Amino acid sequence: MKAKLIMNPHPMTLRPTDTVATAADRILKHHLRHLPVVDEQGRYLGTFSVYSLLKLTLPKAVLDKYGLDNVSFVTESVEDLAQRLGKRRDEPVKNWINIHEVARPDTHAMEIMLLMLHGRTTSVPVVDKATNRFEGIISFWDVLEKLIGENK
Amino acid sequence: MHGSSEAASAVLFGLNPMWVAALLFALTYVVVMTEKINRAIVSLLAAGLMIVLGILNQEAAIRGIDFNTIGLLIGMMVIVAITRQSGIFQFLAIWAAKKVDARPWGILVMISLVTAVTSAFLDNVTTVLLVVPVTLLITEELKVNPYPYLFAMIFSSNIGGTATLIGDPPNIMIGSATGLTFNDFAYNLSPVIIVIMAATLIPIYFIWGRHLKATPEDRQRVMQFDEYGAITDARLLKQCLLVIGLVVAGFVGARFLGLEAATVAMTGAALLLLLANWGRDAEHQSKHVLEAFNEVEWITIFFFVGLFIVVHGVDGTGLLKLLADKMLALTGGDLNATAMVILWSSAILSAIIDNIPFVATMIPLIKAMAPTFGGPEGLMPLWWSLSLGACLGGNGTLIGASANLVVAGFAERAGQPIRFVQYTLMAFPIMLMSIAISMVYLYWRYL
Repeated sequence: MKAKLIMNPHPMTLRPTDTVATAADRILKHHLRHLPVVDEQGRYLGTFSVYSLLKLTLPKAVLDKYGLDNVSFVTESVEDLAQRLGKRRDEPVKNWINIHEVARPDTHAMEIMLLMLHGRTTSVPVVDKATNRFEGIISFWDVLEKLIGENK
Repeated sequence: MHGSSEAASAVLFGLNPMWVAALLFALTYVVVMTEKINRAIVSLLAAGLMIVLGILNQEAAIRGIDFNTIGLLIGMMVIVAITRQSGIFQFLAIWAAKKVDARPWGILVMISLVTAVTSAFLDNVTTVLLVVPVTLLITEELKVNPYPYLFAMIFSSNIGGTATLIGDPPNIMIGSATGLTFNDFAYNLSPVIIVIMAATLIPIYFIWGRHLKATPEDRQRVMQFDEYGAITDARLLKQCLLVIGLVVAGFVGARFLGLEAATVAMTGAALLLLLANWGRDAEHQSKHVLEAFNEVEWITIFFFVGLFIVVHGVDGTGLLKLLADKMLALTGGDLNATAMVILWSSAILSAIIDNIPFVATMIPLIKAMAPTFGGPEGLMPLWWSLSLGACLGGNGTLIGASANLVVAGFAERAGQPIRFVQYTLMAFPIMLMSIAISMVYLYWRYL
């Protein structure tokens, strides 16, 4: 089975200029973990996720790849953290997206599952190789449904 | 001494070995500078070619490798690899910041001192790698520009590293090649290093320091940091401090004990590995020992190995002796003039090129001058000139020392990039000031 048959072709997406506040609102309201960011030409730019929100809440110094691996000495309160997130609510989401491993419309089911396992992610965007057009998204639940459906 | 007798085949397709060696050597320098090919690959390849082309044989090549330098570097890298896990570096940085009530300028001074003192005993790259993230967190909390802090840290790590035998690779190489001890370095270099450190903070204060301001609320946030929370493993910390104490005592007493620095460092590393792995089962021991060994910067180590062979090959052809004679002819065999030429040229060259190959070349070159200045004893001022020039010169540009590039990497990722030209415009004059201070010191004390 190939990606285009498993994916959800009309998921909720974001525009790169949407604000962090808009993204956070959608994530909370719909309990989503990943929102693909797609430009006006329909090209996939990356994914804004719950992890982007976590990053927005933390100081930049702890996010660096060689940054602090232990912050147990910092005694900030939830209010301090909320304040940091609050200050960044009007930033465009394009500054906070991650480029995920993507599947192609003809990628096979096993490779998609491996992408999820290795990437520790529950959803994989499906993107056309030649045009970078966003085609849809495959969530862990889509895969599971097909798997259990096949077994029935 | 080790001239043609060591050559494997002196024929070399009929070419003059001196020029083949010189060409290979120059090529090594150029390719390392372009940074297109990893420097360890370049130096090992050049070393291999030195042997294949018959400039020296394998036996001579191995004799050329200074295993005292290699052992000291590896030993200290293992000790640092284990110590960094204890959280002591973060502890020191936070403790220092709180000592000055989280005042922005006070923090800059304290972080600089912590960096300088730590760099004097541990390698500069590790020091900045561990202190920069805490500093960035503190400046973010204080909402002050991190640039002056990072700038000051580059300087203090290179300045602090100059103070001791084990602080910076040039000193390790000089100490190893000359038999100068830890105490010799501390006694001869630390006085001027203290002056240079203080003097460096003056321009930093006038350019940035006096403008640094933070609100009481933001300072309060830093004051609420719990430095003891940074210590992740108190037992490990005690073991590390014990071993570092013993190692430093070993360096201080090295001459009295008849020990070389590499023995002290490697034995210290083995002892710390033993303590840290005490009570672990075989499988966990293997895992942790491997982790510590993986932290050794093998690129640097193999770069050294190849370089020692290349320089030994060049030295064997008499080229460096020739250069030394040329330099002496230029200075008229005058000690003052020679010391000044070495000090200033090594400072300026080290700002532009890697100081490790430079110092590796200068060591045999200076040794060849011994007869002119009345034997090895007479060379003392020249060794201090080389050390001060090569270590402090690294501050001059962003590519002058590896620690500079590590700091610049952090700055870039934090969205506060340190630009090459902008950095050089500030740093080069401050570096020249430190060399001028060194010059006065050398004149006053030795010349």
